[in-house]
Amino acid sequence: MLNFFSPALLFLFQEAESTSRASQMLHAAANPDLSKFLVIGALLFIIGVAGVLTRRNIIVIFMSIELILNAANLNFIAFSRYLQETGNPNALAGQIFTVFVIVVAAAEAAIGLGIVIALYRNKETIWVDEIDLLKW
Amino acid sequence: MQKYIWLVPLLPLIGAAINGLLGRKLRFSEQLIGGIAVGSVALSFLISVAAVYSYGFGGHQWPTPYLTSQDGFSFDWIPGGAVSVNQGAHDAATQAPRFALLNIEWSYQLDPLSSIFMLIVTGVGLCIFLFATGYMHGEAGFYRFFAYMGLFMFAMLVLVMGSNFLMMFVGWEGVGLCSYLLIGYYFDRQEAANASRKAFITNRVGDFGFALAIFGIIATFGSAQYTDVFEQAKSFPIELLGHWGILSWIALGLFIGACGKSAQLPLHVWLPDAMAGPTPVSALIHAATMVTAGLYMVTRTNVIFQHSQTMLLVVALVGAATAIFAATIGITQNDIKKVLAYSTVSQLGFMFMACGVGAFAIAIFHVMTHAFFKALMFLGAGSVIHGMHHEQDMRRMGGLKKYMPYTYWTFMAGWLAICGIIPFSGFWSKDEILWNAASTTQIPLGWLVWLIGTIAATCTAFYMTRLMGMTFWGKERFLEAAGGEADEAHAAAYDKGLAPHDATRGSAGDRPRHAVGEHVGPVHEDVAHHVTTHGHAKDDGGHAHGAHIPHESPPSMWVPLVVLAILAVIGGFVGIGPAFKPITGTDHPGGRLNITTWLKPIIWNPATREFNTPEDAGHGAAAAAEPEHAAPEPVAEAGAHGATGTAVYGDTGFNLAHSVEASTHSHLATEWLFIVISLVVAGVGILLGFLFYVWRPALPGIWAQRLRPLYRASYNKYWVDEFYGWAITRRTMDAARAVYAFDARVVDGIVNGLATLSRMFSVIVGGIDKYFVDGLVNTIAAFIMRLMSPLFRAAQTGFAPNYALVMVLGLMAAVAVFFAKDILAAFK
Repeated sequence: MLNFFSPALLFLFQEAESTSRASQMLHAAANPDLSKFLVIGALLFIIGVAGVLTRRNIIVIFMSIELILNAANLNFIAFSRYLQETGNPNALAGQIFTVFVIVVAAAEAAIGLGIVIALYRNKETIWVDEIDLLKW
Repeated sequence: MQKYIWLVPLLPLIGAAINGLLGRKLRFSEQLIGGIAVGSVALSFLISVAAVYSYGFGGHQWPTPYLTSQDGFSFDWIPGGAVSVNQGAHDAATQAPRFALLNIEWSYQLDPLSSIFMLIVTGVGLCIFLFATGYMHGEAGFYRFFAYMGLFMFAMLVLVMGSNFLMMFVGWEGVGLCSYLLIGYYFDRQEAANASRKAFITNRVGDFGFALAIFGIIATFGSAQYTDVFEQAKSFPIELLGHWGILSWIALGLFIGACGKSAQLPLHVWLPDAMAGPTPVSALIHAATMVTAGLYMVTRTNVIFQHSQTMLLVVALVGAATAIFAATIGITQNDIKKVLAYSTVSQLGFMFMACGVGAFAIAIFHVMTHAFFKALMFLGAGSVIHGMHHEQDMRRMGGLKKYMPYTYWTFMAGWLAICGIIPFSGFWSKDEILWNAASTTQIPLGWLVWLIGTIAATCTAFYMTRLMGMTFWGKERFLEAAGGEADEAHAAAYDKGLAPHDATRGSAGDRPRHAVGEHVGPVHEDVAHHVTTHGHAKDDGGHAHGAHIPHESPPSMWVPLVVLAILAVIGGFVGIGPAFKPITGTDHPGGRLNITTWLKPIIWNPATREFNTPEDAGHGAAAAAEPEHAAPEPVAEAGAHGATGTAVYGDTGFNLAHSVEASTHSHLATEWLFIVISLVVAGVGILLGFLFYVWRPALPGIWAQRLRPLYRASYNKYWVDEFYGWAITRRTMDAARAVYAFDARVVDGIVNGLATLSRMFSVIVGGIDKYFVDGLVNTIAAFIMRLMSPLFRAAQTGFAPNYALVMVLGLMAAVAVFFAKDILAAFK
């Protein structure tokens, strides 16, 4: 697993090699540039997708979906800030989108949990591998 | 005024439309219907009089035909096109096809001939319309009757006023239709319905000839306009006896049409049966106007007829044969209307005789006088029938003079006129016809025509006196039950042992209908009542045939009688002939008012090959053709054309008038000799009539026994109807049955056989389709479905994570494809 992510980690800390190792790392931590946010966003997304695909508990799947959504939110925020630094007048658009996504996620959660409760009442289970109603 | 003549046909049409379309819906009263009908005809009459006056005497138009298109009162009726005109070309130069532009316009023509007919139709028509308002009183179909009558007036006026042959044909068919409708006015009676069909079908034969003649005219002359056609026809060569050129064929077609419409042999059978219609119809259509349409047509086309000596002879002989044939039948008929019907046929024969010997103007003269006295007598008969409570059998009449004075005295005028007694109108025209027949140089056998005509005139005087004697003079027979064929309702009731007036059969003729079995009232009690009070029997138990005291008709009926009687007396003075020159001082006294002078411009002169000009002396070709050498007196009309007239038609053999003239050496004396002969034969006929039917009423029965075969032949109308029934109707039915059998056996057999064959074929084809084609399709489809379905079914697990996995894989695939280049670059 770590091997798989090593290129990304290297990318995260590549600037640190130039100056003193510690100060550089502090500096980088205090002033992360855009690429680092994107990497974290991608990691979140991948974790979310993996959760959706691998977990059987429907609640955990929900939580994974939230991870995916928040990965998207992180991207929006990162780009918003990046554009702010470059002085783009539309820089706030990303933050507005984020708010929208949060609202939609909340609504989705409400409906989804409602479905889960209805399912549980009928099937007495929240394990997705025991629910094959979509077949019909 | 001339330009308003287009209103003359239109007004009766409007009246007919109002009566026919609204009369029943709005429940018009009889006064309103009668007012509309009589008013429209009266207006037409006034316009006609004014127009004819201004045409003939008001300006300089006469005798040039006036067409309403000159004043724009016309429209393009049939805008035809180029027609090939190569028929009848008579010299080598014109053998090549020639084209004419055929454009037929609807415009009315006012000329000497049409003006006379306009006045007859509207004038006599007005009298008859007025009469009908009284005669038809109380009829349920009052509005219908006057709608048909108005329509008839329109059609008849189109016939005589049209400016081309097609308009004449429209009118021709229109009067035929109205005749059919009016004969069948009592359509709920079998014999009326049969008579109307008979009239219509018989006229079809004639119309067929007429239509062929019109086609021939268009093919020959490239036009249907009278003026164009006659202008071209003038230059065609005259076809002598036995030569059948194009004009002879056209004339034959026209004459067949005239035979049908004017009831000449052998197409006369419909007219006597047509008496099943109401009596005013018989007077207007079947005596005064419609049946003279054939005469109008022959006179209108006199150019064509005079080009064919053969057809002139045919016309004369057919006319003569019809005259004697119908006159002999008239002697034995007992129905008053039947006698008048045969008299009409006979008089029409006289008119055709005149046409055939070339005296067209005289034929029209006789049309006019006949319209007066025959309309008068028909209306008089209608008055008698009305007064006798719808009794038509003369054996049940007699002595009516006392009860119906107006009818009697007016009828008397008609009787004297038709017998040809000297100053009455019939004398002038009939005598001229006989004289022209005797002196004609246009056809051979003129003497035979004269002889037959004279015998027919004797018969006419005899049967008309018989009619007078049986109706107005002698014993009053209406109080007895005379029985006989006309009283079949009585007879049938008697046979069945019923009371005499409980009718079990519908009554015949122009009488009101009794429902079968209807009790028609205690008539004999009424008789006593009427004898004492001399009242009208209008509203007693149902207008019974049989014993009623007759009564005079209301003024609406006798006023027209008086008008027509005056015309019947004086109407002949417009045609006083050259025989009266010593008295009148001129050949044709009265100037243009003399009908011969008035009509002269429309008569073609074979000698000059031009239409007569008003300045020409003489009256038509017959007079022009009189040889001068035989007339020692300087007779003006025998002038320049004398010798050439004979030359045109060649030698016509024995000529009675000329032979007599050769021995008397005086033209005038010869004419007077013939006048005396015709007066004498009329007197003989009248005396015989008096002898048989007034002085010695037993004689008719005795002589009927002595001449039994002749009597039976005449009484049964020479069995012509029976012959036609056997030779034509039965043969037609046989042919129909044969054709039906052929249809049922052969045609239906083929059709049904084919149907069976195709049904068998379809069973086979259906089997192949069902078991072979469908089987193949089903097998293949099932094979494919069984092969593929596990694959697709396996994909549908129903577990959400599986779908999500597929979605992610799809996303990755999409990214991989979309960023393929970047990914490859990163790995490089």
